[in-house]
Order: sequence, then structure tokens, then C-alpha cells
Amino acid sequence: MGTNKCSHQWEMVNTCSGFIVTETCHKCNLVNTYFSKEEHPPLEEYRDGEHFWNVMSSSQSVRFDLKCKLCESLVTFDELSALMLCTGCIKDCKVYNYLERSPGHSVWVYVAFGFKPYKDKQQLSSEKLGVLEDYFNLKRRSTKSSIKIVSHKLIDDEDICKGGFIMDEFLLSLEAPGNK
Amino acid sequence: MKLKGIIDSLSLDVLTDVDDKEVTGVYISDMLSDVMSNAKAGNLWVTIQTHKNIVAAANLIDISAVIVTQGIEVPAETIELANRYDVVILGTKDSTFALSGKLYQAGIT
Repeated sequence: MGTNKCSHQWEMVNTCSGFIVTETCHKCNLVNTYFSKEEHPPLEEYRDGEHFWNVMSSSQSVRFDLKCKLCESLVTFDELSALMLCTGCIKDCKVYNYLERSPGHSVWVYVAFGFKPYKDKQQLSSEKLGVLEDYFNLKRRSTKSSIKIVSHKLIDDEDICKGGFIMDEFLLSLEAPGNK
Repeated sequence: MKLKGIIDSLSLDVLTDVDDKEVTGVYISDMLSDVMSNAKAGNLWVTIQTHKNIVAAANLIDISAVIVTQGIEVPAETIELANRYDVVILGTKDSTFALSGKLYQAGIT
């Protein structure tokens, strides 16, 4: 990204479908998440060093890079796990502070999550968050709203956060025919 | 074509408040990750998904409206969230296939 003075026009490239796999270690309860292109995650417990990993969930996802159509700069997003819409569930949350709602213009806040464990894996830099935000805002036609993307680090307690994840998991809220 | 014109011509059920946006095309998918990477601003998003997370995806891409097909009931939680985030949700008893045909005949591609 450097000191390029280009007014970037980002486009999504190198899209790759895959899965976000969530594992836990039954010995220490550590949670590990990663992106996998494998259709079937390991179903049986496996050992890696001190950890004994079990797959908890696997959700379909897509990995991508962003490339500037003008200067051809490429920004990779291997560190991005998922985006989540802030639904304003906790009023004193730092993420909520970015939410703006006024008759003329609203700012909708999305949280960018990295892969776990957070302390062991590289997380998205503020520069990359800015690029991601620019990309989605450039795509918008509406003048009544814009997008703000912030880091998951602003969330005090993810366990009580009720945001809307853009993730293909547990989506089915359908009833089988004839159940009504 | 404007959204309200499409609602009237196809007799779609209006489930939320409506912002009469310009419709730029149609995107059909039941996967949020697919919509995030491939749908375009102003598109009508046709799906059978009704989980509240569709609001997150629709809002991010600036979808003109989400059309839920097959007469599937949209939960109140999803409707409430959609109204809060100015996401339009419409419904139809048509299948996704039938609705696609009607949209195509109406010149929306």
C-alpha cells in the first residue's frame, strides 16, 4: 500500500470458495479457526503438539484480495475471517460508538474478525480495514448511508455480542412442509 | 426501473418499509458469502433465506431489496432488523424459478 498517491478504485480478485473451520482443544479449551479449501474438515480428533483438536463447525465462506484498477496495487485479506454487522446490542460498546443514524445519512458499522487464537495469528491492520471500507463504500449507490469497518478488538466480550455475521452457517430457519 | 414499480407489476408482498430505489439487476443466491462477493449495489436479491443475517449482507452490498420466495415466512426478528437498517424485504409465493422468469420478462436482468 505504501505511499502510493493513487485514488484507488478497488475490485475483488482472486476469490476462493472454502470453509471457515472452528476447532477446540478438549484439554485446554483453546479455540482455533482457519480457512480451508478442503470440502471435508477432519472429523476425528487429531493431535497437534500439545493440543487435541475437535471440529466444532464448518461454514462456507469466500476468501478474496482487493486490487486497484488504476495502479494495480494488490491488498490481500488472508487474515479476514468474517464480517459482522453491529446491531447495537450493547450501548456502551466501543463499536456502537461508530454507529450514526440521522435522517439524512447513516453510518452502518461492520466488525472485521480475524482468525483465532487472536494472539497467535496476524490480525487485519488498520490500513487494510481502511481499504476494505473504501471498497464497499465505492460499490454503494445510496447516498443516504455509508459503511464503517472496525476491528474485532473493539468488542469487549464477543460471547455476548449479537451482531449479524455474514457467514453461511446456521441460516436455515425453515420449517418442514406440513408443520404449521 | 424503480423498486415500487416492480412491486406493483409483480404483486410482491411488502414486509418492511420501502425506499424506492433504482433497481440495477437481479442476483439469485442462498449463500451470504456468495452475495457479499458477487452481488452488486442496487440488485434485487432473490433467496429463500430468512435468517436475520441476510440483513447484514444486504446492507453491506446496498441491495435494493431482498425477495424471499416460495411464500416462506420471514421471522419478526429479521423484519425488525431490516427496518432498522433500511433494508427492504419483499415476499412472493412464487418459486425462485418462476419469479426469475417474471423478472426477466419485465426486463430486469
